[in-house]
Amino acid sequence: MRADHRARHLRTERYGPGLFSSILEAPALARAVRPGQFAMLEVPDRVRPYLRRAYSVADASPESGEVEFLVKTIGAGTAALEELAGGSALRLLGPLGNAFAIGDLPRGARVAVVAGGIGAAPFPLLYRALAAAGVSGDLFLGGRGEKDLSFRRRFEAIVNGQTHLATDDGSLGERGFVTELFRARARRTAYARVFACGPMPMFRALAKVIAELGLAAEFSTEAEMGCGFGVCLGCVIPAADKPFLVSCTEGPILPPEKIAWERL
Amino acid sequence: MSERLAVGLGPLVLRNPILTASGTFGYGLEFADFVGLAKIGGLCTKGLSLKPHAGNAPPRICETPAGMLNAIGLQNVGVEAFRKEKLPKLRAAGATVIANVWGDAEDDYVAVVEALEDAEGLAAIELNISCPNVSRGGMLFGNSPELTAGLVARVRAATGRPLIVKLSPNAPDLVACAKAARDAGADILSLINTLVGMAIDPETARPRISFGTGGLSGPAIKPIAVRMVYQVARALPGMPLMGIGGIAGLGDALEFLAAGATAVQVGTANFKEPGIAGRLVAELDAYCAAKSVAAAALVGRAQAGSAAAREAGAEG
Repeated sequence: MRADHRARHLRTERYGPGLFSSILEAPALARAVRPGQFAMLEVPDRVRPYLRRAYSVADASPESGEVEFLVKTIGAGTAALEELAGGSALRLLGPLGNAFAIGDLPRGARVAVVAGGIGAAPFPLLYRALAAAGVSGDLFLGGRGEKDLSFRRRFEAIVNGQTHLATDDGSLGERGFVTELFRARARRTAYARVFACGPMPMFRALAKVIAELGLAAEFSTEAEMGCGFGVCLGCVIPAADKPFLVSCTEGPILPPEKIAWERL
Repeated sequence: MSERLAVGLGPLVLRNPILTASGTFGYGLEFADFVGLAKIGGLCTKGLSLKPHAGNAPPRICETPAGMLNAIGLQNVGVEAFRKEKLPKLRAAGATVIANVWGDAEDDYVAVVEALEDAEGLAAIELNISCPNVSRGGMLFGNSPELTAGLVARVRAATGRPLIVKLSPNAPDLVACAKAARDAGADILSLINTLVGMAIDPETARPRISFGTGGLSGPAIKPIAVRMVYQVARALPGMPLMGIGGIAGLGDALEFLAAGATAVQVGTANFKEPGIAGRLVAELDAYCAAKSVAAAALVGRAQAGSAAAREAGAEG
């Protein structure tokens, strides 16, 4: 059940400038969280950021009680998180939101996991669940350049399918957009489902590919959230069949056909 | 909890003076995991309109130092869905429910209040005449003493329930609007709603909120809210007030009580700490027990004889 957890910062794994994993001790959250869910994280005693921030849970271990967040430093909140000393106390509200749908996939199924940059954040936990379900996942990881993907070693031991890399400048993997790389592969591979997370331009391009190839997909959407549990109504996304979806409670995992892309 | 926390605001008696503010507490049920709904003084619902309302296009919120801007645009399920789907559950939970209502025009306000009049389990009506994020209604009423008086008189005639009028800090003359609301039949005044603000992305030079402007809330506005409560309490002695604006700890609540509020509403802090209202009730109880004082005795302590009181231009 969701709760306001008191967590303790254990350690920070640094991958490259501004990319790191923050590992916290939060046993109740580690037991409860499912892949794709998020938590609202508070670095205490700050007026900026004043509100908590939504972070996808990157990984969780019920055995050790550890919860991991894969983070890119972009502002005051992420910078504060990067600088946290071991032992620091934090508050974590979660788990929140819905989860990636995995339960209906048959053993032996093959899925695609498409990530743009730090959009890879929710996928270690997804891979843990895919492995347990006997489902293999090909990882498509894209960024502007090699520096955007310095965290990729986090995925080396956990990807149970092929790994395809793409960068805009060709500094790592193929030169070009990860969505095009995915499209080329997906035309030849029967993916039972596509799980994706990344920046809005990637989502837009990917939604077109998904529609063109008639694939089933789940996008981990991002919207600025005030509360994370359906109250402030700040994180709405234009919906295909009604005015708005509330991202934090009806999502964040949404099939692309539910989103009104033309109103975004 | 104990009797020492009970407060009376005219016809409205509350088990304690800690409430939650409209627009920051959903319909209350969303908080059941975090707050004992029967433990807090009361909750103000999301602003209810006659028909369901979709609200503004995103982006709707952005964070600012010690607070946030919002222009949600009063998205709500509408009064019928509230009566059918929310209110029975709130009653079962033992919550003291205050229905916050709004409309585009006088007739809309009256229609919402009439639609709630025979509903069971409502403690009071709070009239939102101060929302800055809709193109019609809302703040347009609250910024004018004449429009406030006309609207409050019509709503007063439509309800036998305790009537709270939520004032706008954006009004050119707050005290004049407060008097207009009182004289037209309001039992209680709540203040303040959000202050109109703006944030612009320095790179794109575009407003961070699609509506352009938004309502500023959070600890950033607390000193303004405390001053306004103090000012209205001074000008309208005996008028029960609920203080709102940036309350995030017990000290903030005590500050509003000292300024002259008989109760307070916690707002933006509910987003950051969903259990805060319950925590403040417990902390206030411990405070009153330690001081051997009733909560009601904490009201207006800053008013009597202070230099600030004299300079605030006492009248009424």
